[in-house]
Amino acid sequence: MGEPDKMVPDSGAVFTFGKTKFAENMPSKFWFKRDIPISLSCGDEHTAITTGNNKLFMFGSNNWGQLGLGSKSTVNKPTCVKALKPEKVKFVACGRNHTLILTGGGQVYATGGNNEGQLGLGDTDERSAFHLISFFTSQHKIKQLSAGSNTSAALTEDGELFMWGDNSEGQIGLQNITNICVPHQVTIGKPISWISCGYYHSAFVTTEGELYTFGEPESGKLGLPPKLLVNHKVPQLVPGISEKVIQVACGGGHTVVLTEKAVYTFGLGQFGQLGLGTFTFETSEPKVIESIKDKKISHVCCGENHTALITESGLLYTFGDGRHGKLGLGMENFTNQFVPTLCSSFLKYIVHLVACGGCHMLVFATPRLGMAEDIESDE
Amino acid sequence: ASEGSEAQTTDSDEIVTPVSQKCPKADSEKMCIEIVSLAFYPEAEVMCDENVEQVYVEYRFYDLPLSETETPVSLRKPRAGEEIYFHFSKVIDLDPVEQKERRQFLFTMLIGEDPEQGHLKFTVVSDPIEEEKKECQEVGYAYLELWPMLVSGRDILEQDLDIVGPEDQATPIGKLKVSLQAAAALQAIYKEMTEDLCS
Ligand SMILES: [Mg+2]
Ligand SMILES: [Mg+2]
Repeated sequence: MGEPDKMVPDSGAVFTFGKTKFAENMPSKFWFKRDIPISLSCGDEHTAITTGNNKLFMFGSNNWGQLGLGSKSTVNKPTCVKALKPEKVKFVACGRNHTLILTGGGQVYATGGNNEGQLGLGDTDERSAFHLISFFTSQHKIKQLSAGSNTSAALTEDGELFMWGDNSEGQIGLQNITNICVPHQVTIGKPISWISCGYYHSAFVTTEGELYTFGEPESGKLGLPPKLLVNHKVPQLVPGISEKVIQVACGGGHTVVLTEKAVYTFGLGQFGQLGLGTFTFETSEPKVIESIKDKKISHVCCGENHTALITESGLLYTFGDGRHGKLGLGMENFTNQFVPTLCSSFLKYIVHLVACGGCHMLVFATPRLGMAEDIESDE
Repeated sequence: ASEGSEAQTTDSDEIVTPVSQKCPKADSEKMCIEIVSLAFYPEAEVMCDENVEQVYVEYRFYDLPLSETETPVSLRKPRAGEEIYFHFSKVIDLDPVEQKERRQFLFTMLIGEDPEQGHLKFTVVSDPIEEEKKECQEVGYAYLELWPMLVSGRDILEQDLDIVGPEDQATPIGKLKVSLQAAAALQAIYKEMTEDLCS
């Protein structure tokens, strides 16, 4: 990125990679006047950002109304959702073709595709503007939202998990129905601390640090031994991870798990999205990414076929499908990465947020003042 | 893009977007080659050759060093029915002024009567894991004809090419999937070079 990085204000910039629809899909960046990003989320082809001033900005594909702007036309630059201005938007989760937001008043709104009831509005009619999910009240104290391919989830401060939408593979944890249009509680009798909806599978972490997976059983993405796959429609404990689990991220066919000590991956890795090297293209057994064992990872994120990791010192590693430049590793010449690869263009930045979509990635980073060389040699 | 020429512009009340002054290169002034994926047929000899553990793919393009036209990694040899994915794409600059010789090279390939001339040749190479023990060995070749692309004016998207072994060029041992965005450049090159010939 070089010289003009000086232009990025101290408050940072949002960097775009891959098929974002922004800046003609060239690697680019933008920032807010007197405002900063607080949360980023990518759907299959759309992107959402919430800011410190509690505004929601959206761009990308809009075939299903997933941008919530009242139309279905593609939007190629971040656009504020004015209809939500009276509300304070706290954070956002993009599914494959729908979007969920939480407001400061504790209310959840949804827009976009709804063929499986993933909007939680009691029907399967798609919406092109945000609609209130009446199920949730301020009593729920929601701390995390997640959305997958036609699935949605909300997690409360008390560790209660609610899910709705597509259940064709058991990905919202119900046994005998194909979908549900209103939130239902998913419980294993223990409080839950983290949820991730993948394309056709889901995973959560308990406050005790156990990992549970459910949904589509193929290609090892549940991390379960074969004999447990018959019960793939209910959350099951993933054995084989000895230490405490902190976060989980589900992609299209893979799962990435952050523990107190390491990053584990399992599922499909044909494009390198497991980061386990050039000999492991699939595994149902959780495996530690050895090449980053000495790094302190603070956040994991999955796109459909790629993965991003942020370190405690604010560096970014990416791996997996390199098409369209979504790994942030170059301008024109792309290739799959089979091990976590340092995004050297962010050495002069502190990376705070990353979000991965179908064919794109967004990064929020602020300029690193001084000491870039020290960090580089540390890593 | 040369971001050195960026100007800071504001295009809304709230968003600042540094706009790159550099125009994207025209389609007729570049080409893009992608080595997508590779599979071997289950009955192919290479499948049971224990010496072949991992493979990479390379091609040659005029002045480009091999380090830029070979897949940066070797991948485990595909199992029966499995495809391995490189997604290795490279944009080659064909600027009419700065890369005249590359355009001339492509024109020569297009009009060449020698059957060895009219195609891009991809080589599948076995990359031994213990380097001291064995040497890299070519296990197969795949050929992409350029002339049909010139005639049709259509880019090639994820096309399967037969891979043939070094000895028996008649029996395919697998398939190599490639994409080539070059139709606009090839047509422009053919037009300007044949005009030169006639004048
Ligand atoms: Mg690629
Ligand atoms: Mg992808």
